[in-house]
Amino acid sequence: MSQQSLEHSQDRRPTRWHIAVFLAPALLVYTAVMILPLFGTLQLSLFRNVDNAQVFAGFDNFRTLFGDPRWSDSFWNALGNNTWFFIIHMLVQNPIGILLAALLSSPKLRFSAFYRTAIFIPTILSFVIVGFAWKLILSPLWGVAPNLLDLVGLKSLFVPWLGKEEYALTALSLISVWQFVGIPMMLIYAAMLSIPDEVIEAAECDGVTGFSQFWKIKLPLILPAIGIISILTFVGNFNAFDLIYSAQGALAGPNYATDILGTFLYRTFFGFQLQIGDPNMGATIASMMFFIILAGVCLYLFLIQRRLRRYQF
Amino acid sequence: MGSLKIENVKKSFGPVDVLKGIDLDVKDGEFVVFVGPSGCGKSTLLRIIAGLEDATSGDVLIDGQRVTNAPPSKRGIAMVFQTYALYPHLTVRDNMSLGLKQAGTPTAEIDQRIAASSAMLSLEPYLKRRPAELSGGQRQRVAIGRALVREPKLFLFDEPLSNLDAALRVNTRLEIAQLHHRLKATMVYVTHDQVEAMTLADRIVVLNAGRIEQVGAPMELYNKPANLFVAGFIGSPKMNFIDGARLGETAKTVGVRPEHILVSDKAGAWKGTVIHAEHLGADTNVFLETEKAGLITIRLFGEYQTGPGATLYATPDAARTYRFDADGKAMG
Repeated sequence: MSQQSLEHSQDRRPTRWHIAVFLAPALLVYTAVMILPLFGTLQLSLFRNVDNAQVFAGFDNFRTLFGDPRWSDSFWNALGNNTWFFIIHMLVQNPIGILLAALLSSPKLRFSAFYRTAIFIPTILSFVIVGFAWKLILSPLWGVAPNLLDLVGLKSLFVPWLGKEEYALTALSLISVWQFVGIPMMLIYAAMLSIPDEVIEAAECDGVTGFSQFWKIKLPLILPAIGIISILTFVGNFNAFDLIYSAQGALAGPNYATDILGTFLYRTFFGFQLQIGDPNMGATIASMMFFIILAGVCLYLFLIQRRLRRYQF
Repeated sequence: MGSLKIENVKKSFGPVDVLKGIDLDVKDGEFVVFVGPSGCGKSTLLRIIAGLEDATSGDVLIDGQRVTNAPPSKRGIAMVFQTYALYPHLTVRDNMSLGLKQAGTPTAEIDQRIAASSAMLSLEPYLKRRPAELSGGQRQRVAIGRALVREPKLFLFDEPLSNLDAALRVNTRLEIAQLHHRLKATMVYVTHDQVEAMTLADRIVVLNAGRIEQVGAPMELYNKPANLFVAGFIGSPKMNFIDGARLGETAKTVGVRPEHILVSDKAGAWKGTVIHAEHLGADTNVFLETEKAGLITIRLFGEYQTGPGATLYATPDAARTYRFDADGKAMG
């Protein structure tokens, strides 16, 4: 290209329409299914139904939610339960996922593909199947759990876990852990496979083997993956609804012991049994869920993600 | 304090025999280079010495002790990898100290060893950096430093220069050579590059298809190749191989190195036409299509003006002509 035409092309840079064209489909779909509903929900939470007409109410719905003890007790109960649900996942699901991934990535393990698939299968099962299956397993009347415990002489340990207020939430959390442990396992497994063999061999030559190799070499290198898993767990848990609904119903019994934000939102929005649905209060709860998750994700992005180093091998 | 003995080591991966019985003695303080084409088993042999791979049969002795079943860290070896294999999350200092800490070495001694080896490799300014903040050459020096602080009986290098660019390769090669002079440590070095092998080694082990073809000092291999393979592998450009029958010789193959051929434009043994000439400044490589010996390469020192189509006469140096029998073995 000659000097002249070069200058010419710099003067008049053509509008790059193709960028807009290529972005448009994704943007349109995302707007239609994500952004519009989100703003619709936020808008709905600022209105009230007075005499079959939507009236702007400012933050009154939020005042009711936090000020009226009938609402606030339920909300704090659901938030507390949800937090416990999340803690169980972080303390049980993710460490087990890491452990399984570490075992799977051991070259001495045989049938690792079989284990990998077997552990991952519950994740692809429908939550309805998981909920009902575990309800049946743990049922004190026709469940297999009491009989199985009897076989090993531990029947005295059996408790109708799903029916007791003090155990139900933990039991459901563990069922959810059982269902979803395949996801952290897969992600960590992939992260571990990306560690070059030579780095591990160098550690072997340095005498850093076994557990200390995991602790000093592998774990620091998979920390970014663990960060991603934590945030996925957080978002998933605070949006959870299906397992509780299918196992315990919308009332999240016994006595709301397993009520989490999702079931609380469902009852409020759509109504259940004697409770009449209130879309405005439902939207208020949904907005609170959005803000809680937003806060959590921001906290992660700005405080934790920044400190995690990513390594190029 | 750092001898190595390999006794009839064999290795197969499933049905594939990678090493078909290797015997080797490395004396204390010797610099031995394994060289061979890719797939010849040289890296596998090094990994068996390191303990990263188990031999199918045979024994490895380091310092007279049988270490065939010992884990790498108990063999008194240190290895430098082609890809550096530094711990990416640790600083240079921590990379060097991790193994010592694991072994429970006192902090004062760790500090002293790191100070000594980082001085030797001029790594002091980088001790607090992570590998990502270093250049390739610096990373390889850290990898060497990590081996150094362990004060091993045996240093193992697995193609340590292959990932470096040409200029850096020459520098690092020099550093490794100096290191060997200074430490007088036993070193085993794997490479596919015959220049590295010739410049660094006290003794070269030429491997091919899982067997040792020849072991000897660099000049021994150059001057007295035991067979066709070694003759062709050592030396650049490659030795010319001419069918003995064409020259009226009893030998199956006659070999003559490109640098051992005299050239004249008036008279000589083989008349030929220049196909191509490579002018490298210090050398000129001429490819000559001769009537009697076929296509041969001639290496002339200095500049030599010729070009395609020119007629030249080539005369091999009779004293430096090699003869090989039908099995490829050197004759007489």
